[in-house]
Amino acid sequence: MRLTDRRFAALLMVPAALFLAAFVAWPIVRLVMNSFYDISPIAGGPRTFVGLGNYTTALASSGFRSSAVRTLAYTVLVVSAEFVLGLATALLFSAIGRRSAVFRTIFMYPLMIAPVVAGLLWRFLLIDNSGIVNALLARVGILHSASDIGWLSNSRIVLFSVAIPDIWLTTAFMALVLFAGLQNIPGDVIEAARLDGAKGWTLLRRIIVPLLRPVIAVTLIVRGIDAAKAFDIILIQTGGGPENASQTLSLLIYRTMVRFGEPGLASAMATMYLLVMLAVAVAAVVTIWRPGADA
Amino acid sequence: MNGLEIRRPATRTLLWALLVTVVVLYAFPFLYLLLTSFKPPLETLAVPPTVLPSRWTAANYAAVWASHGVPASFINSISTATISTLLSLVLAVPAAYAITRFRTRAGRLFVMLALITRMVPPVAVGIPLSSTINSLHLLDTPTGLAIAHTTISLPLSIWLMSSFFEAVPDELDEAAKVDGCSRLGALWRVVIPVVSGGMAVTAIFAFLASWNEFLFALLLTSVRAQTTPLAIANFQTQFGLDWGSMTALAALYSIPVILLTLLLQRHIVAGLTLGAVKG
Repeated sequence: MRLTDRRFAALLMVPAALFLAAFVAWPIVRLVMNSFYDISPIAGGPRTFVGLGNYTTALASSGFRSSAVRTLAYTVLVVSAEFVLGLATALLFSAIGRRSAVFRTIFMYPLMIAPVVAGLLWRFLLIDNSGIVNALLARVGILHSASDIGWLSNSRIVLFSVAIPDIWLTTAFMALVLFAGLQNIPGDVIEAARLDGAKGWTLLRRIIVPLLRPVIAVTLIVRGIDAAKAFDIILIQTGGGPENASQTLSLLIYRTMVRFGEPGLASAMATMYLLVMLAVAVAAVVTIWRPGADA
Repeated sequence: MNGLEIRRPATRTLLWALLVTVVVLYAFPFLYLLLTSFKPPLETLAVPPTVLPSRWTAANYAAVWASHGVPASFINSISTATISTLLSLVLAVPAAYAITRFRTRAGRLFVMLALITRMVPPVAVGIPLSSTINSLHLLDTPTGLAIAHTTISLPLSIWLMSSFFEAVPDELDEAAKVDGCSRLGALWRVVIPVVSGGMAVTAIFAFLASWNEFLFALLLTSVRAQTTPLAIANFQTQFGLDWGSMTALAALYSIPVILLTLLLQRHIVAGLTLGAVKG
């Protein structure tokens, strides 16, 4: 029997499709099913159908609502900081030109560092008394004494502090991708704008940013999705504290499941979280990204 | 170089100074980690902190390497990442080839679904995934964890490999078929060798994703298959805050991938930009 092209293509895709069905789609189905039950944390324990009970419990809890807001705030903070710093660095690399290559390489290394390592490292750098950040700030006179800022113990600034390792790790990603985008802008477009008298800020706002738009859109989406999933970096630094001030949705769901032993409630929270992520992502893909549109 | 390069000498000097400052600041945290790992254990918590070790010592490295479970965790990390990388390639290469060569509706749907997989928060699938892995009797094994890691790296691998196949002209497989190769033979003997560079890039990304992953490792392993990120995290609970050991282990764990990356940096940048722009 001769295989048609279409069958041959399907046959090549089947293994990957089966894998994703078994290890992504099926767990998601189970997650959604679990969200309708009150489940005993002991394996093989009783399950009681509670309908939307877990959802109403989650939505009524201030912990869930504030974690959701915090996740959004964290995502916006991380992505905008990375974007601004990344674009500034990419422009600096471009202004210097080819000879910045060695520095671009050095700049790349945090990309390879495990988030757990980054989280612990920054916890170490930010410890109140013996951390080098406060010691240096005190040395140059910005702080009175090294214990003036409790980066990770002050609940008002902790969400900002736990974002630092993420920003540190991935500004490099932003910078490199935006730099590659800048290299693809035709030189004569920039020259022409320059001849017309465009300089600095105007050149950036009127010419460069519009031309970079597709690259910018994609990097913001990719980074936004990753930041909204943040888990290990925050867990390692604060465990969500103090007073839950750095508890994002991933941490809350994890603790609801593992610490407080409420798999049903955790599943309902995770289902809502997943639905929002998918909705945002699908909207972004359809309107901005449109993969395969050119194919 | 394009029109963004600035040539005025005075400005250039200023830009260079700025660049050096930025890169030094950016590199400092990891440099400080390395320096700390060579300090005598008590000095790691000195107030005020010191930058350079008063005396260089490998004591932290010796202690961490001798501590329970650390060498085993390295072996677990290496085996998990290797299995996951192989699995990603074996599944992604044929799928990506089919997607780019035949452009069927199923292929387009597949790409969209693979992309959407990237949006799924690991914490949402982690628990039900662990019961699936458990029913395969693979809980707390490198293979079980590697399967979980492949759910992360497979979609990206499919994207990356699709871009690399895209760059190979269709005429190449056509010519191979005219010369008597079967369709599978054309893929295996002619196309795969051409995209082997792209496969290397894809492999590095899959390896890195597994090497650095934490949440699935936390949920799917307990003792036997514990990976090094968990061992690093354990230093804060088991031994109080043993910064000397933590920095030494973190350095040991980071240096191989940093070296690998510097070695292959040109390909990594290509992969990053491709991965970002395409998926």
